[in-house]
Amino acid sequence: MDFSRYLERRWDDLLEQAVQHAAVVALSVLLATAIGVLVGVLTWRSARASGAAISVSAALLTIPSLALLALLIPLLGLGWAPTVVALVVYSLLPIIRNTVAGLRGVDPAILESARGMGLTGRQTMWRIQLPLAWPIILTGVRVSTQMLFAIATIAAYVAGPGLGNEILSGLAGLGSANALNKAVAGTAGVVLLALAFDLAFVGLRRVTTPRGLRV
Amino acid sequence: MSDIKLVDVTKQYEGQPQPAVDAVSLDIAAGELVVFVGPSGCGKTTTMKMINRLIEPTSGQILLGGADVMSIEPNELRRHIGYVIQQIGLFPHMTISENIQLVPGLLGWNRDRSRRRADELLDLVGLDPAAYRDRYPRQLSGGQQQRVGVARALAADPPVMLMDEPFGATDPITRERLQKEFLRLQAELRKTIVFVTHDFDEAVKLGDRIAVLKERSRVAQYDTPARILAAPADDYVASFAGSATAIKRLALIPAVRLPGEPLDERDGLPVLERGGSARDALDLMVRRGTSRVAVGDRTVDFAMICALLEDEHGR
Repeated sequence: MDFSRYLERRWDDLLEQAVQHAAVVALSVLLATAIGVLVGVLTWRSARASGAAISVSAALLTIPSLALLALLIPLLGLGWAPTVVALVVYSLLPIIRNTVAGLRGVDPAILESARGMGLTGRQTMWRIQLPLAWPIILTGVRVSTQMLFAIATIAAYVAGPGLGNEILSGLAGLGSANALNKAVAGTAGVVLLALAFDLAFVGLRRVTTPRGLRV
Repeated sequence: MSDIKLVDVTKQYEGQPQPAVDAVSLDIAAGELVVFVGPSGCGKTTTMKMINRLIEPTSGQILLGGADVMSIEPNELRRHIGYVIQQIGLFPHMTISENIQLVPGLLGWNRDRSRRRADELLDLVGLDPAAYRDRYPRQLSGGQQQRVGVARALAADPPVMLMDEPFGATDPITRERLQKEFLRLQAELRKTIVFVTHDFDEAVKLGDRIAVLKERSRVAQYDTPARILAAPADDYVASFAGSATAIKRLALIPAVRLPGEPLDERDGLPVLERGGSARDALDLMVRRGTSRVAVGDRTVDFAMICALLEDEHGR
């Protein structure tokens, strides 16, 4: 069967897997952003604390993904849960690092005038520091998202969602009729999704960056 | 109106052999502009920052309109004290108007009132509200940004303002213009202002009184600019005041206040511009090679200027 006919026949399945792939990445990135920004906000002031947070998240990133997923099975079983946890773990580093860098990058004069005007620490964080650091934080989120699209394919090993299933079944059945079609379709789907998300980030950046920083 | 009273205020940083600020006492009357002047590192900024508790004193007392600042919650205190710094520190993601409205917002003013107040202040500092309220700080020149900085500090109409070298980073021409506008503003508003600078000439130009500070923020002399120039308390103050102090004093005296004789139009004397100082009159004499100039409907001569300096010295 040639590739185009394969696509035609399996379109619905592929679409469903693509949607799930995107969904699991999006969910994981959202969770990782909440956790990563929180960690950054809590640690940026101290070189030691933020250094430790970045080191730990970097160390987590070195765990082979297959090993991490396997380790999570006894705790979380199969499917979405171990997939999301693993993806969150892998996406923390760029988000924490950029949050710390973004918050550190805010001009000290701005912080001094905020303090001198009587803004509390929390008001300064919400109204001044986070909006100013946001473009840099968002860049970290974008890097994480790109990484996760590739890593998420491995989730198929723990019966997770997404296009990894297509690739995995292709690789498992090498030599059989549609093996190559499956692997190619799955891979192409992942790449296309990643490109689409990256484009979306360009728009998101434009929409969410305070106007005063773009002039 | 609030007066400020510093009583034996000391700041000792841990691990330092000597205090950064050592038992400073100063009285600043309500509506008075007092300049802290001294070399960098003398503790003048530290002293100023203890007034709004950006730095906490180790001992001593600071009274603001009779109330001990240590008894007021720091953020609440700061919302009622205008604060202007050299680097300005406008919030780049907020419009000019939003920058000014921030403190009124924190104090619970409604949006309409804050917005009107922002427009009023832009007008006051010489920026057309219609043209500037919706711009962002990065779209403004340094001088314009510092005007907004001053407007923002005035937003909630605080009785007290703290200003840390506010015009220090601007070019000489802009600085002079900002200083002039600021004096005009202060003549209108009569805030109690503590103004920190290392520029003695700026202190002379702006201050009702000057506190010349030496190391550890000790007060070398605390007096009006004229009297510090006429009678520096010691060599330190004299060296800080620099040379040509007699000429600097003349700059403080409006020429119209000089004693003069009725002008005879036929003399054809050089005419001093309106609002000129005794120094400008002297300058005109030197330039034209005369010993008399016309000031309004009178003439002023060189001997009168010399006599005036004698008088001031005696006082």
